[in-house]
Amino acid sequence: MSLLGLFDIGKSALFASQAALTTTSNNIANVNTPGFSKQDVILDVANSTSFGNTLVGGGVTVSGIKRSYDAFIQSQLIGQNQNQGRSSALSQLLSQVEQVFGDSTDTGLSKSFTDFFNAWNDVATNPESQPQRTVLLQKAASFVDVAKQMESSITAAYNQTNNDIKGAVDQINILATDIAALNGKITQIEAGGTSGQANDLRDQRDNLLNQLASLTEFSYYGDQNGSLTITVGMRNLVEGDKTNALSTQTNSDGNQDLILDNTDITSNVTRGQLGGLLAAQSEVESGPLMGLRKMVASVTKEVNLLHSSGYGLDGTTGNDFFNPLQLSTKSQSAGAQITSASITDSSQLTLDEYTITFDASQNYSVTDSQTGKVVATGAYTSGNPISFDGIQVTIADGTGSVAGGDSFSVSPLTDAIKNLGVAITDPDKIAASSSDTELPGNNSNALKLAQLSNTAVANLGGSTFADFYGGIVSNVGTLSGAASDTLTFDQNMLSQLNNQRDSESGVSLDEEAVNLIRFQRSYEAAAKMIAVTDQLIQTVLGMVTTSTG
Amino acid sequence: MNVMRVSTMMVYAQMAKAMQDAASQLADANTQLATGKKINKPSDDPAGEAQAIDYKVSIQTNTQYENNMQQANIFLDATDKVFTSAADTLSNLKDLASAGINNQTQETKDANSQQAAGYRDFLLGLANTKVGNRYLFSGFKTDQQAFTFNAVTNTFDYNGDLGSIQVPIDANSSMATNVQGSTAFRAGLGGTMPAALSDGTPVSYTQAKDPVTGVNTITVEIGNVGDPDYDTFRVTNVMDIANVVSFAWKNQNVDGTALDPSADISQEKAQHRMDALDSVIDAARSQVLAQQAEVGARGDVMNDQKTRFDQMNLSLESARAKIEDADINQTYVDMQQASVALQALQSSAAKVLSTSLLDFLQ
Repeated sequence: MSLLGLFDIGKSALFASQAALTTTSNNIANVNTPGFSKQDVILDVANSTSFGNTLVGGGVTVSGIKRSYDAFIQSQLIGQNQNQGRSSALSQLLSQVEQVFGDSTDTGLSKSFTDFFNAWNDVATNPESQPQRTVLLQKAASFVDVAKQMESSITAAYNQTNNDIKGAVDQINILATDIAALNGKITQIEAGGTSGQANDLRDQRDNLLNQLASLTEFSYYGDQNGSLTITVGMRNLVEGDKTNALSTQTNSDGNQDLILDNTDITSNVTRGQLGGLLAAQSEVESGPLMGLRKMVASVTKEVNLLHSSGYGLDGTTGNDFFNPLQLSTKSQSAGAQITSASITDSSQLTLDEYTITFDASQNYSVTDSQTGKVVATGAYTSGNPISFDGIQVTIADGTGSVAGGDSFSVSPLTDAIKNLGVAITDPDKIAASSSDTELPGNNSNALKLAQLSNTAVANLGGSTFADFYGGIVSNVGTLSGAASDTLTFDQNMLSQLNNQRDSESGVSLDEEAVNLIRFQRSYEAAAKMIAVTDQLIQTVLGMVTTSTG
Repeated sequence: MNVMRVSTMMVYAQMAKAMQDAASQLADANTQLATGKKINKPSDDPAGEAQAIDYKVSIQTNTQYENNMQQANIFLDATDKVFTSAADTLSNLKDLASAGINNQTQETKDANSQQAAGYRDFLLGLANTKVGNRYLFSGFKTDQQAFTFNAVTNTFDYNGDLGSIQVPIDANSSMATNVQGSTAFRAGLGGTMPAALSDGTPVSYTQAKDPVTGVNTITVEIGNVGDPDYDTFRVTNVMDIANVVSFAWKNQNVDGTALDPSADISQEKAQHRMDALDSVIDAARSQVLAQQAEVGARGDVMNDQKTRFDQMNLSLESARAKIEDADINQTYVDMQQASVALQALQSSAAKVLSTSLLDFLQ
């Protein structure tokens, strides 16, 4: 122990205070940086030196700079970001779709189809006059317009979702690349073994993980080198500093499948924005979109059936009022395909969708997709028609024959609104009469059409049109309401967790201000100590000068 | 006690979220006030919205039924007025038929013949009344005159049918808006008809009804076959009756030929014809009055129905309003509340956010 040793202690104190001041300044500088964790200087007592029989302290050392970080909160944050990403996407699409059903402001379908049937009342009251017939055609056209506009608004939102999925995938790939790059840097820095963890890089990576979590569901685990592996649907997205690109592929329904590492992982993604978008698509398709199409198909069918049985002022009969329903088909077979599909008897239509499947011995079975009932079975002959429920479908060999597991689907609903239109252009062809010899005063058929709005429709489960439509609106409202409630809950949870994280890791300016003064004072004290030591040495040197002088 | 560490970002983030929440509540209340509606999208109240749609469709449909009845009333009112005039005219015709042709001057005879022809033409006009595009009394053949004169048979033919034009007056029932001309202006007999005229000459009335058109033909036979004053003629409607009366005043058949070569027998036959028609005119008049009563009854039913719809729409409307419309007072209070909460937050934010140790360090 020497007097000069005091300089070393003073120096260590100066350095420690300087390191603490630097860290404090860094904390203050990053007060608004998202994902930044407050850092603290870890101070230790330096090795003591012996002084006679006892040990004397040797100053202070900076043993490390540690970030305030709770791995448990971080993992919860990732989970909650995934939940919030899902409910946000779900709620966004559903609230867009529910705006389409603007019946509370009289812009929905209920007003226009009631207007349409009311116009039939007016024709029934004045079967011989033209103005009421012209009005009926206008009301029918407006029903068609509203239905088409509603469908196109829903499908536009729906198709936008496909674009959103592609956008999310692009973002995921960018984030994955960034995370992989950070993995590389972190391993490199921490491998040096210089001074613990690469705090700032880890903060950055955690922040990217949170962003990734709001986009997609994933699992992750770290290794001892500090590198993080991220898997989606049990395929690696990020491993070390390498990534696999996530990609999308349009499937036969026109929707997007998610492909990672040559594997379809779509069904594994249920959370994050991607999971929410996929779930929203299926909810919208099976709920409001299907419902609306069924309702319109049912109006088309019932009105046409009655109308074609009546007579116009010009004595013609058998005229459809709306464009007749058409079938849309899809073939999933390597060899065969549906060559024609037509409605042979619209009165027998159930307005359900059907799937025709084949077994290994080329026997077909037709299943009603809504009821799950098998409605027809038989053996396949290429080109022979298959008939069921007023529908006739012909499947024929193409590049090959049918094989076990082949499936074909037939739907009267898919194009129900797309093909919808008023077939009658000449008011005289409006079939108000039930006879061609009692023109023009016979209004029996118009009466039946007017009363159709009060009739329970078998295809709609025995509901009237208005009841069925009310059900669709209530369903879409419930879906959207539930999604928005979940979103509020998830947002509150996320904000709670972010609070917890900020409480643990966030920078408090007050605290840093206190630290600033504290370390300023300790720096000043250390400097003072060096000055005192200098004076002590001056004293010693003065003694020498005095004795020799 | 576990004291939570408060970081600067937390204070800002919490304050921002609290203000967002309050602002969104204020915006909700404001939307309700602006639209006057509690339900602005289905998710605001899914079950309520379905009910509101149901109520609105019912109101719209009921209003349509009221419109139907209003239109039906136009036709029925016109029909009622036609019947009033027809009944009056038939009274006048009866007076003319029972005036007695004997001892009348030629001038009176001619005038009476003219008068009866006038009644005939007036009745024809009434039977061919047209409202809008519709001949009221032609059944379904609304584009054709109900009756036209047939120059070959010298009678009035019915061109309509038995069509009854119904309009819906509620979900399950409808109401006829017309009376077929073959029924309304029928020459028909009810009850027992006299077997002899006032001078004791025997008379018989035979009726035959066409099931397709509803046209009722009465063949009148006066006297016994073989007698010099034996006479027979047919009528199917009130115009025919007036026509026979008109020609009888001229001692003629409806084709303009003399009733008999002998002037005396001609006059006797003419007197007999008018005598025989007396009860037929009575029957036709009561037929018209009965139809008028029937039309009046339809009007009463529709009035009752309209009152019922008015009341129903009122209660449906108030049920709809209860579900869909915002309670303006309540909403206003809600908005005040949200607004006060937001202001409180803003002023507390101003205090909390400006508090920093740094402000006190020199």
